[in-house]
Amino acid sequence: MDDPLEAKSLETKSLEAKSLEAKSLEAKQLVDAIISDFPDHDPNTRPVHTIGIGVDGYFIASDVARSYCIAEHFKGQRVRTSVRFSNGSGSPVQHDGWSDVRGMATRFHLENDAATDLIAMTLGEFFSPQVKDFFEFTKAAQQQPYQMENPWRKILDMLQLKIPLRNPYPKETTSADAGMLCYANRHRFAQLAVFQAASIGAPVSYARATYHAVHTFVVTAPDGIRRPVRFSWQPVAGVRTTDPTAPPVDKYLHKELRDRLQQWTARFILMMTIGEAGDAIDDPTEPWPAKRLRIVMGTLTLTGVAEDQAAASEHISFNPCRLLPGIEASGDPILHARRGAYENSRERRHGTPCPFNRSETDAK
Amino acid sequence: MSTVFNPADVQGNILRGYHKPRMRHLMLEVTDRAAARRWLAASTSGGDGVPQITTEEPWETKPETCFNIGLTFEGLRALGTPDASLATFPPEFVEGMNARALKLGDAGPSAPENWPAPFNDPKRVHLIASIYANEIAQLDRLQHQALPDGKGLRPLGAREGWCFDGDYVHFGYRDNISQPRFKEIHDSESYSDSQPMAPLGTVLLGYPTNFEGLTWRVPQPEALGHNGTFNAFRVLEQDVVGFEAYLDKAATELLEHPDVDDLLPPGAEANIHLEPGDSLSRHAALREVIAANMCGRWRNGVPLALSPDATDPSPDVSKTNFDYDGSSRCPYGSHIRRCNPRGGQIVQRVANNSRRLVRRGMPYGPAYDPAKSRGLKKDEPERGLLGNFIGANLGAQFEAMSCDWLNLGLQDPRVTGSNDPLLGANEPETSWFDLPLKSGAAIRLRGLPRFVRTRGGAYTFLPSLSAIRFLGSLTN
Amino acid sequence: MPSNAGWLDRFVDGLPETRFFQFVAAHILVPYWAWRTPVKLLPGGPPPSVQPGDNVQRMMNLVMPLKDKSPVGRAKAALAIAQNKDEIYAGLDNVGTVHFARFVIVDNNICMFSVYDGDFTNYIRHFIVTIGSVFDAVVSLVDGGDDVIPSEDNVEKFIEWVHAHDMYQVPDLATGILRDQEALNGDTAAPGNDDLRLLPRQLILQLNVNNNVSLGSGYRAYPGYSAAQVRQQFGSGW
Repeated sequence: MDDPLEAKSLETKSLEAKSLEAKSLEAKQLVDAIISDFPDHDPNTRPVHTIGIGVDGYFIASDVARSYCIAEHFKGQRVRTSVRFSNGSGSPVQHDGWSDVRGMATRFHLENDAATDLIAMTLGEFFSPQVKDFFEFTKAAQQQPYQMENPWRKILDMLQLKIPLRNPYPKETTSADAGMLCYANRHRFAQLAVFQAASIGAPVSYARATYHAVHTFVVTAPDGIRRPVRFSWQPVAGVRTTDPTAPPVDKYLHKELRDRLQQWTARFILMMTIGEAGDAIDDPTEPWPAKRLRIVMGTLTLTGVAEDQAAASEHISFNPCRLLPGIEASGDPILHARRGAYENSRERRHGTPCPFNRSETDAK
Repeated sequence: MSTVFNPADVQGNILRGYHKPRMRHLMLEVTDRAAARRWLAASTSGGDGVPQITTEEPWETKPETCFNIGLTFEGLRALGTPDASLATFPPEFVEGMNARALKLGDAGPSAPENWPAPFNDPKRVHLIASIYANEIAQLDRLQHQALPDGKGLRPLGAREGWCFDGDYVHFGYRDNISQPRFKEIHDSESYSDSQPMAPLGTVLLGYPTNFEGLTWRVPQPEALGHNGTFNAFRVLEQDVVGFEAYLDKAATELLEHPDVDDLLPPGAEANIHLEPGDSLSRHAALREVIAANMCGRWRNGVPLALSPDATDPSPDVSKTNFDYDGSSRCPYGSHIRRCNPRGGQIVQRVANNSRRLVRRGMPYGPAYDPAKSRGLKKDEPERGLLGNFIGANLGAQFEAMSCDWLNLGLQDPRVTGSNDPLLGANEPETSWFDLPLKSGAAIRLRGLPRFVRTRGGAYTFLPSLSAIRFLGSLTN
Repeated sequence: MPSNAGWLDRFVDGLPETRFFQFVAAHILVPYWAWRTPVKLLPGGPPPSVQPGDNVQRMMNLVMPLKDKSPVGRAKAALAIAQNKDEIYAGLDNVGTVHFARFVIVDNNICMFSVYDGDFTNYIRHFIVTIGSVFDAVVSLVDGGDDVIPSEDNVEKFIEWVHAHDMYQVPDLATGILRDQEALNGDTAAPGNDDLRLLPRQLILQLNVNNNVSLGSGYRAYPGYSAAQVRQQFGSGW
């Protein structure tokens, strides 16, 4: 196509052509597909990141944040935040010590009941670039029976200079590992995410892991310059995982967080990496090179575990597309699909609705 | 190493331009090694019906037609050049232009994957024969004379250039203004130029170079390499519609800019002309100011460094005798300053005057007629520039200039991170270009699209006459 | 360990840490697989890119084995640098694209680790022009160096020699090495049947061929700026 403007307008038209009904159906199918990966899912809970804990805190933007983004929460005032840490699994049985992705969802509370959300997880890249690929992934990532690898098989692995499969945790009878590996072997774009997820381990504390928002957003500066960016929360206390050779403990993260926040606050720095022309903007499976500009956008201070966990952890409903003027979604199809999926999941589990801010970016 | 210069040994299109209005490059594949060798041998003397290679020997009367050749690495190999000899050629030449894409900024629309035939199959492009003439009929005659039956050399494709308006090229600029001058060459059109005389080794292999103490490896044997040079042949498509549209858009935006009066004081549009005696609107004058800043010269060739406010200064200024100092009103990021910073302050201080190139270019494609055009890029015929960028060392000159200066802008921290506004690998989302103001501040233009797309090219070796005879006499 | 683990399971789980297995792996398994599924030498230096952020603050990691592998040889190398302090600064300040340059002696190797902007060949070529004599002094002490000095007369060969000694930069993210190996083999088509579990072996075999590597492209506190931009912004002159 000669004219990039022409090409873009065709793309927008085809996106809009997906009627509201079709989007709603896709959202329902996405949530169904995710639930299918966790056969013991409890219908009143989230389909993934089921087990979590709500935390109170506040965010203060750095002095340079407002020169990159006009969004309200970057202006420098103290912004109240509600944060929910979670384990990635959709199973209602808590296994903090099992190797699993962790989540950190943050709501910035602004004036007049306005709010914006930033949803992040310890995995920096996603498994699939398109929605149809994600459906295939959920089919592949079904729980399959998992038992210890036969010692002779392990020896055979070692002779081939392969790492033998990890021993199952106590009470672990099924795992999605084999299915995800199979998917990654068929799709190179998934290999980074699957490899990282397999070795991610368990953090010693929710406050000691780095959480990535994965998708690219476009921020607008006061002079009108638009930049593609990716956000990450970096723990001031540093990253630390538990010893993978020690037997895993099922429940420790919630108590650890309560104890920690009673003694002192936990802080995270919001890092914003700026992409360049040629970086993957709409593809959440592609990492950005390490040599990109990193801007410190502000500090999040967590003050204490929320009193009302029912409200702060269970009923609260985040959405990655709950944005503000100054932040827009890129064309990332997974990001756009998450909007409907999160709404569908909220309806199913009777979560508290939270309005999207009235801005044209939310209309998409 | 001989430093006595014998013009009869050097091909004629290197150290001087022929100033012929028509040119045709023929991309040829060697199909019969022995026949190709005989052809080469015959070309040095004009025997056997093969056109005679034009040399650097001064002529009393300009010939009707001129004929020259260049060889790619694959071509040298196809002709049976011994392996020991091939190993003495520089790695960038061996890899070929297609493999050097990332260094040259040939990404996205300019990527070699998108090049049309014959450049999409670089292993088969062996020899580029160039014919220069006054009329198309002469081009045809010489082509027929050179390749009567395609025996030995198969034509893969041709690219034809035509000076549709004297020295003017597409985008409306006057080209062919300044070249390196050499001590050893008497240039009948000598002009004053503050740049130092270039040592012959800037262009020819086997002579002292621009770099103190450095000599380039002369491909062996001596007969093959001495007096030869390397050429980056580029087919550069120019999006004239897009260029003019951008000038319109940028000028319109500038009219509203708070600092526009610093850039073009009210009434100063009277000093800016496209045709003698015309009177331009403020918008049209701003278009010319932008175009001049992007290039470094007004469209008529007058350098901004000497005449930043007027297209036709009075008294006249030299087109070539200037340099860049701290107060120069030629933008650091403008095209001619990026490609040749002359004596101006650059980060790589040691590199001043070290990446000079001889540039022989001719436009191709029909002239753009705004009256006839509907302004849609897809309706326009392809047009652009066929460029020969000649220097003794591709890596040290053409490539070095392309990757660190033309793109990236490493030579000046004030332009680092941006690309050449005319030629660079620009994306509208991230591109920028600063227009300097008299006050020292600047107005930043954004959203420049890519105006030039590479549509083919090759690294060729331009052998001396001795080298051609050597290749013609190979018997392995 | 799972409760049903027997003694054999426990033994096998501990096997990789045993000296016996490490011996078998190093002397039998690696050579066998290097023969069965060979990997090609990956080129050194940062991967080429057209993006501006990738073309500043690039790393060069050179490891050059000394001819004289004794304290005397190491002292000669140390003196070669110390006696050329003015030359090195003149080169650094007038080439203008180097952020940091460090000469380090490790065992019997003289190493140079530098951070530079722009094209690698331009960087080396400019240094040959300005401090070719220092290069000659250092490289004359290195195994195989005599072939490429004097650097001013062997510019192309010298640049290729330095490039050959510049370490391969293992990608920051683990699966990146698979992509580099595939690219070297010309295997860029979408596949269907990789085996991600072979990643450790692919890494081992690559490190068997590229002995000295840089892990990642380096970690930077302030990426994205050229040396001249930093000097200009802080008013140090450039």
